[in-house]
Amino acid sequence: MGFVEYVAAREFASGIGQPVITYIFILALLMGFLSLLSLRNAKENYFNYWIKLLYIQTGLYIFGFIIIVWFHVQIYNTVLIQYPADMQLPVESSRFVIPLWIESEKLYFWAMIASVFALTLKRCKELRAFLGVILSVFSSIVYLFSNPFREPLPIVHGEITRWYAALAGDGNIYQIAGTLYGRITYYYNSTYMWTHPPMLFIAYASLIITFAACVFMLLRHVRQYDEIAYRYAKPGYILLTAGMLIGYPWAIEAWKDSAWWWDPKISGSIMMWVLYSAYLHARIYVDRGKLWRTTALLGVLCFVTLVFTYLLTYIVPGIHSVVQS
Amino acid sequence: MKPKKYDYYLIILTTLILLAIGIVCVYGITYYNYLAVTPGWTGTIGYLRFIDDMNSYLYPFLVLLLISLGLCIPKRLFEQEILVKISLLALGVTVILTFLLGMETAMGFILAVIAGIQVIVLILTLNKNRKIRFEKEGYFVRLGSSMLHLGIVILIFNFVTLRESQFHILIFWTGTLFVTAGNIFSFYPDRINLLFKKNTK
Repeated sequence: MGFVEYVAAREFASGIGQPVITYIFILALLMGFLSLLSLRNAKENYFNYWIKLLYIQTGLYIFGFIIIVWFHVQIYNTVLIQYPADMQLPVESSRFVIPLWIESEKLYFWAMIASVFALTLKRCKELRAFLGVILSVFSSIVYLFSNPFREPLPIVHGEITRWYAALAGDGNIYQIAGTLYGRITYYYNSTYMWTHPPMLFIAYASLIITFAACVFMLLRHVRQYDEIAYRYAKPGYILLTAGMLIGYPWAIEAWKDSAWWWDPKISGSIMMWVLYSAYLHARIYVDRGKLWRTTALLGVLCFVTLVFTYLLTYIVPGIHSVVQS
Repeated sequence: MKPKKYDYYLIILTTLILLAIGIVCVYGITYYNYLAVTPGWTGTIGYLRFIDDMNSYLYPFLVLLLISLGLCIPKRLFEQEILVKISLLALGVTVILTFLLGMETAMGFILAVIAGIQVIVLILTLNKNRKIRFEKEGYFVRLGSSMLHLGIVILIFNFVTLRESQFHILIFWTGTLFVTAGNIFSFYPDRINLLFKKNTK
């Protein structure tokens, strides 16, 4: 087992996964169209077709996810990093236990969970049709900008390629081994990496429905929408809170003395959390006067901050970011 | 003022304070981005100054939040008039301590006071004491609310005053446990109730 087997697994995952995500994209376009028709005409037929397509699309998402799992298992089986003995690291060797929600896979994971949540929403055809538009846009973004099968795990692939190149004498093996040890221990194989991000992405998926329901609360002022928004805000908030908190001991362990206090992503996350707290607080008196409008507006604002916080990684420098100062 | 109306305004106040904290965070993001124009600035004294600045902007709102959120708990223990006096007294002592001993000591004071009160509330709630008044009915909602508030105070106290303590992480997990359990109990009291009934059968 080695680099050749790893590359073969990567090509296989890409070869199988690429058609799957292309079908997801085609379905997303169809579903978006049907959702718009359903919103416009409220015809039963359009809605029924949309629901059927949603089931198929969710199935495809799950199938694609199984391919991702398989590929990660193959990375674990095929790639072994054996550190030079004179480096005196705490371990002699490491294997990659790559989480299923990194690089381009994170948006895919989020979209998959959002599709599953959309299936759990019963009644309220209008709201589900609107959710269909959101999911359609989301799936299109995944396909166009965060396709996990076009070039699977490019950063991990670069690290593995550099390692094998260094073994063959191309590059400083000590430097690469040192970097890989840190990455594997504190990032890829960290327990926190297996808990902190998925909790947040599941929370985000749930909060998409809260957002959609708040928009409809503003448009229609029907109590049912507020109840739906609240129903999905509850698991979202629990996971958001716990997920964010779990990141704290991880930051201490992995970043130690690095500059992470008031990092933009952390500030953004706190902002998002306090706004969701404000939403849930205001909601206690949703029946009082015009507070339903404030609550619904807060629900919409919360989601805007959620998207903003997610994008911070790509637009503002910081320890969480891919952008350099 | 009627208790219901009082609670309503307290909730509105809490919401506004939370929004204000959100604005501080937006400022923090913008400020960081502005400073990050200089490469490697986080390795300079400027970064420490930035941290101090941001903490000093946040702390007043945290004090207000603790007074509204934290001292909204004693509304479950005391009459409204006494409560307002206690709140003003706590705020006054905090302000004086800020000038005399610094903001962190003042925060430590108010946090310690509120943490103490939260513990009492939690014990009374666990004992199903009728003296405490809650917005919502039901044992698990009350228990959840008490745990959630106590957890938040523990976490803030830990971040503000116990960062260097050897028990920092232990206290952090305790706070996290309270917050998470408090959230679950508050949001799903019926299911928790059902779960406990099943287990006691």
